[in-house]
Amino acid sequence: MSVGGHFYPTNRVSIFVGALGSGKTELAINTALMLAQEVPVALVDLDVINPYYRVRKVKTELARLGVDVVCPPDALMQADVPALTPAIWGVLSRDDQRGVFDVGGDDIGAIVLGSLRPSLPTGHYAVYFVVNTCRAHSATRADIHLMIDRIERTARVGIDYLINNTNLGPETDAATVVEGRRILGVVAGERGVSVACTGVRPGIAAAVRALDAVTPVFRLRFFMRPPWETEV
Amino acid sequence: MSHLPRVLMKGNEAFGEGAVRAGCRHTFAYPITPQSELAHFLARRLPEIGGVFVQAESEVSAINMVFGAAAAGARVLTSSSSPGISLMQEGISYIAGARLPCVIVNVMRGGPGLGNIAPAQGDYFQAVKGGGHGDYCQIVLAPASVPEIIEMMILAFDLADRYRNPVMVVGDGVLGQMMEPVEIEPGETRTAPAKPWATDGQGDRPAPNIISSLNIVPEDNERFNLDLAVMYAEIRRGEQRCEEYRLDDAELVLVAFGTVARVAKAVVDRARRDGIRAGVIRPITLWPFPEDSVKRAAARADRFLVVEMSLGQMVEDVRLSVEGEKPVHFFGRPGGLVPTVREVCNEVKRITGVMPGAEDVPAATGVDR
Repeated sequence: MSVGGHFYPTNRVSIFVGALGSGKTELAINTALMLAQEVPVALVDLDVINPYYRVRKVKTELARLGVDVVCPPDALMQADVPALTPAIWGVLSRDDQRGVFDVGGDDIGAIVLGSLRPSLPTGHYAVYFVVNTCRAHSATRADIHLMIDRIERTARVGIDYLINNTNLGPETDAATVVEGRRILGVVAGERGVSVACTGVRPGIAAAVRALDAVTPVFRLRFFMRPPWETEV
Repeated sequence: MSHLPRVLMKGNEAFGEGAVRAGCRHTFAYPITPQSELAHFLARRLPEIGGVFVQAESEVSAINMVFGAAAAGARVLTSSSSPGISLMQEGISYIAGARLPCVIVNVMRGGPGLGNIAPAQGDYFQAVKGGGHGDYCQIVLAPASVPEIIEMMILAFDLADRYRNPVMVVGDGVLGQMMEPVEIEPGETRTAPAKPWATDGQGDRPAPNIISSLNIVPEDNERFNLDLAVMYAEIRRGEQRCEEYRLDDAELVLVAFGTVARVAKAVVDRARRDGIRAGVIRPITLWPFPEDSVKRAAARADRFLVVEMSLGQMVEDVRLSVEGEKPVHFFGRPGGLVPTVREVCNEVKRITGVMPGAEDVPAATGVDR
């Protein structure tokens, strides 16, 4: 899904799914921030399996940037239970704002999405499957197909787009990113879907574009940082 | 299959991958946050290579499955997080008493009790002072990065077999959950040394092997304990490991392990920009504690600052090593919080007198250990 060569979701609700550690959270946050430039946005933290690196961790920071984060109330935010807030159904039914959903990883994390299936706004949502081909069990066509099949079965929704988020953290180079895009191109063709964009850290965006002028490049700003990288 | 030189791996996955590369094909565990990805990963990975992952009905059950597999000669792993490791202590003592090798991973979380799922280091005493009953010691390794987790897991299995003793590898939630790139080394798999003592069938042996920690006659049991003492002394002499960072001219030495050591390094880099000559000793073996490195540093440095995600546990071993020669300060965040670079910097400035009266110290850290 792109507008003028840039990644820009046009459906009211954008849902990010994928394997554990594929980068769904960063993609969802950046999508919400981009949409928030134009319209009111609610970013829903549906991740009940990752204990630390999920949207709720940066709720305050995102609120300052104009994104309303929907997650369990403060006292329950770090509870080790799959708590869902009723505000989630509000985001699905309201048409005066955009909704971005960050779903937990693997088919296990997608169980939550399956429970929301009857409430999803037919014709007004898109499901993005995020892939980092540098992750174990996501490096091959067969493994990617297997995870899509499992998530589609558990979430009870079909995948509309793939997102190439191939990276090695700070050691990412453009060739690695574009090799990931190549693998996803094959998978997309086999499933009859398209690759919506390639997510990149800003420093290598130009290098990626030089190797792949077709796929929209989505420059990502990272929020999930380890404690020793905090400012002093 | 496309060949990739590196993959991006979670710390918890790296514990599992390291075990696989070490030749471990048997894992018995029970899931608990924040280490569940380890079990999740091995439940898929081990069957791919002819191994076995069993989700036991409890941690007590898991550690006793480890006891059995270790007795049969397997390279065997269990993993858990703090409350689950507490449940395993009886089994670990039995394994040490039976002279069996095994590897136990503890991805520590906030305690005491049920506590929370946030990162912590409050199980240091339990790990290094013998968490179960009796006079036993276990080797304890503390990696600080995802690549080092793999390295330490391979070392853990080698040390366990070399000494026929349990080895614990400790991390905290941050280390378990974070992702870093690691090199793929396909086919790099160790094999365990011969284990003629294993209960793997009598075969041509004249009598069956028997594995037990039972020593009914006190004199026999004393002899067994004294033999253990000889081995523990050998481990203390030969297996101390640590990383020394910018230590050569350091007047202030920070001592920290795991995640906190990475905060400490960032603090040292920052402090040196302000002209404070600081360095880090990062214990890699928590037992044996790298006392030789600390003693050498005590001869040169003015003071020490121990930083932990606890009320102060490793600080006692630093003080035992420094032997009163130099002041040893402590800064900690207990209960599930990671000390920030900023607050440790403020503590550094306060104790070195660069910034007198700097008070950014959380109330909970006022405890003077």
